[in-house]
Amino acid sequence: MNSWYSCGCVLALTSLVSCSLVEYSPNQTHLPATERGLTTQTLAHLQQMPRAAAGDTVRFVFVGDTQRFYDETEQFVASVNRQRAIDFVFVGGDISDFGLLREFRWVHQRLQQLRVPYLTVVGNHDLVGNGRAIYQSIYGPLNYSFRYGGTKFICLDTNGREYGFGAQVPDVPWLRQQLQDTAGSQRTVVLSHVPPTDEDFDPALVPPYTATLRGCSRLVFHLSGHVHRYTAGQPFHDGVTYLTTYSLAKHRYHIISLWGQRQFRLETVTYGPEA
Amino acid sequence: MAPQFLLAAALACSPTAPDTAARPATPDSLITRSTGLEPLDKKPWYRPRHIVLQTGGGIGMVAAGVGYSLGKDKNELDILLGYVPTKYAGSSLSIVTAKYTYSPFVLPLGERWQIRPLTVGGYLSYTHGTVNDEEKGQYAKGYYWFSTDTRVGPVLGSRLAYRRRTPAGQPRNVAFYYELSSNDLYILSYVQNRKALSVGDILTLSLGLKADF
Repeated sequence: MNSWYSCGCVLALTSLVSCSLVEYSPNQTHLPATERGLTTQTLAHLQQMPRAAAGDTVRFVFVGDTQRFYDETEQFVASVNRQRAIDFVFVGGDISDFGLLREFRWVHQRLQQLRVPYLTVVGNHDLVGNGRAIYQSIYGPLNYSFRYGGTKFICLDTNGREYGFGAQVPDVPWLRQQLQDTAGSQRTVVLSHVPPTDEDFDPALVPPYTATLRGCSRLVFHLSGHVHRYTAGQPFHDGVTYLTTYSLAKHRYHIISLWGQRQFRLETVTYGPEA
Repeated sequence: MAPQFLLAAALACSPTAPDTAARPATPDSLITRSTGLEPLDKKPWYRPRHIVLQTGGGIGMVAAGVGYSLGKDKNELDILLGYVPTKYAGSSLSIVTAKYTYSPFVLPLGERWQIRPLTVGGYLSYTHGTVNDEEKGQYAKGYYWFSTDTRVGPVLGSRLAYRRRTPAGQPRNVAFYYELSSNDLYILSYVQNRKALSVGDILTLSLGLKADF
């Protein structure tokens, strides 16, 4: 019964590998339980960790779009792991390029090699296809906030174009409420993917969004990705500082230190083969 | 197929009954027994030759459809309709797929079984029902250079068939197959990240059944 034997072998082999290989759609959301709700898991972990820097200083890595830059992401992780006194890493959206589940997992597999926790905010490419459902499954809510080291971090979805604009995204009333709720913190940082100076930001919401930020005297600055390069300034001439950071392709990232009321320092690190 | 048909037609065509060639009946099976050839199984060109049921391969949790055999049954074109429920995709997806495969080798395995060790081909799929379905005017032209709902990709696999016959002696095989496949976006990701990604990262597996009818 040689034929039955070989047939059995083929079947056994197939069922062994099938679990991870049988994909119903590249747009599917289905994940192993350990890879679901990473934001909640990370925040719980972060609250347990002692702060890396002395005094009231919070020090974190800020980098932009990891989309389709897997080789570079590995180099980035190696570089950050050589840094000292880092509390966490923040990825400013566009984790994926095509909004596909495997892309999110490829990035997560690399970023989880970081010695410190990492957090994210959703980018426009993460909302392509079924990316919104995938982001919610793997990371969690599109708008969330947390307190760490006397700082309130507010992370929100500003990818208005992905919703066909329509004055719904970003959720300005939610942002206002978050900015008003200052309990347990002395300063505030807002993080999003698309900055309000960009044409992918819902034009109808630029005035209320920037006015809301202007109304918060504790705001250190507004951080974004999307443009794949470093920019800094006060484009609305209202005393609010807006910064954008590099994408992974630029082999650069920022280390941001916050202390005092609204003091900050920005360091730029170059890494990889050209460094 | 062609030589058998010519033989059958030549024998069936008598001067008195010129239209019998169009209605093959008992004489064909008689010819088959005497010559050892496959029985003539003439059907209209548009009638599918087999039904297909598949899971995985990026074209559905369950995909079902029909297929055509071309060129001595070594080429096949399958049209499948796949489905992924909301629980697995965040929205319920319907996926239409056209898959073309070529299996050059057919090896007998005892009397009742047959193996096609190599199947190569490609597919084109269209997904309907994604969460962000690209409304008209949502993006400027070329904003996203790739299509979010149309995928193309290569297919490589094998097949094991159980050889059945109808009471009239016509073949009605039932085959189990597996296929490894990928898609344009996965392949591009791999090509640009040869250090970080491996071929295994971009493969998907499908398992399926094909039954002649």
